[in-house]
Amino acid sequence: MNDTRMLAYVETTAALLKLPLDAARTQRVAVNLQRTAAMAALLDEVPLAAHDELAELYRPAAFPPNDDERKQL
Amino acid sequence: MKTVAFDAAAMAGAVASGEVSARELLDASLARIEATDGRVNAFTEKTLARARAEADAVDARRAASQPLGPLAGVPYAVKNLFDIEGVVTLAGSIVNRSDPAAVSDAFLVRQMQAAGAVLVGGLNMDEYAYGFTTENTHYGPCHNPHDLTRSAGGSSGGSGAAVAAGQVPITLGSDTNGSIRVPASLCGVWGLKPTFGRLSRRGSYPFVHSIDHLGPLADSLAGLALAYDVLQSPDALDPGCQALRVQPVAPLVGRGTAGLRIGVLGGYFHDNATPAAREVVALAASTLGAHAEVSWPDAALARAAAFIITASEGGSLHLRELRTRADDFEPLSVDRFIAGALQPVDWYLRAQRFRRAYRDKVNALFRDWDVLLAAATPVSAPAIGTEWLDINGTQQPCRPSLGLLTQPVSFAGCPVVTAPLWPAGTGGLPVGVQLIAAPWREDLAFRAAQVLSDAGVARVQPAQL
Repeated sequence: MNDTRMLAYVETTAALLKLPLDAARTQRVAVNLQRTAAMAALLDEVPLAAHDELAELYRPAAFPPNDDERKQL
Repeated sequence: MKTVAFDAAAMAGAVASGEVSARELLDASLARIEATDGRVNAFTEKTLARARAEADAVDARRAASQPLGPLAGVPYAVKNLFDIEGVVTLAGSIVNRSDPAAVSDAFLVRQMQAAGAVLVGGLNMDEYAYGFTTENTHYGPCHNPHDLTRSAGGSSGGSGAAVAAGQVPITLGSDTNGSIRVPASLCGVWGLKPTFGRLSRRGSYPFVHSIDHLGPLADSLAGLALAYDVLQSPDALDPGCQALRVQPVAPLVGRGTAGLRIGVLGGYFHDNATPAAREVVALAASTLGAHAEVSWPDAALARAAAFIITASEGGSLHLRELRTRADDFEPLSVDRFIAGALQPVDWYLRAQRFRRAYRDKVNALFRDWDVLLAAATPVSAPAIGTEWLDINGTQQPCRPSLGLLTQPVSFAGCPVVTAPLWPAGTGGLPVGVQLIAAPWREDLAFRAAQVLSDAGVARVQPAQL
């Protein structure tokens, strides 16, 4: 993405998140995001299949260590 | 007042034997802080009344012939993102100053107290742990005790500097991408980043929930092992604590390295190390009899994924304050926090999906190896204010690049002992070596570290302050 479009992206997404940015900060944030975009491009080249899940999975509760509770009801 | 030149483990032994009192150790620690911290700037808070009460309680127990904990009377301090009862948890910020004081200690502070350790205060850090240099604009930079013009590393810079300056023998820090290992390397002290999920994070101010670790730094390997063992405990109330039982390392550290398969990380870890960093790795390798070069999988990709997850979670965590108080944030990191909050969600999710596949590759590597060696930082301590590093002819931005060699390892969650070594050609400044083991095998990293310590290759050297 060229610098002009990155600036526009920063302005638009910051507005969406209700983040007020002045012109100087918008510029600096865009430079940071441009660097991160290069890293994201590296990861974009990694082949991931549909079954490659996230590293962290939500757990509703720890799995019970035994079946004692199931026998009580 | 007695002059005390003990390390952490010797201090505990001296208190237990009655050679010195806990109050005398505390007074010596406070005197050293008073004499040096105006130049080092490691401390942001001193808990004097609490420290005296804890020290006197230890001395009273000994006088009454009651059992003492393994760290009885040993002074320590914590990065100021740990909750200390009655103290506001700053996490290096001024935004948090208006928060209420903590109503109880962090879990690990309670573990230290139960072991008899004496809390002296809170320590300087990069704001919200987002940095590797502890150039904190609000509270001033932390200075490296071995050269006050240089960085102590970060984000647990105060934790590294306080040990290196001889102010306290043990500190606690946090490590998301290298924040224990970088200051341990630049200050020349021992550091442990345990397995991800080993130690409870309850009562510490978060940075990146997916990657945050807590751990100790110390002036001796024995002290590091003592501290680590007392910090261990399952904690069902911390969703990030996965350990189900305590696995002490102190009884195992002296077993030697016979039979251990020890390799040296090449490729990315060699390419991003300057000659001084390569020198200390070579010295550690020759001491340990490690000759094989080993390739760590996808190191550059792992760093990229860790960078993206860090920015995204950190930016989201602070979004409310960034909307209203951005000017109160650290100027050196506020733009990165904002950029992180604006990242496309695909970047974040892809990084998390990559992490799972990456973990499997790293764990597969440890079927063939027990301990792997790499430098902890590409360079020795840079001057405070340095913007660019020359890493083998390539100009790299200094602040993020200090974590080049630590970031891929913490992203996998492997335990690492950082050993302090002293290369030639750095003007007397140290560079640490990472001793990396498979998840839950801190004991193997400690065993290799003990060999380096016994050989005198890895050691803490007094700072001339």
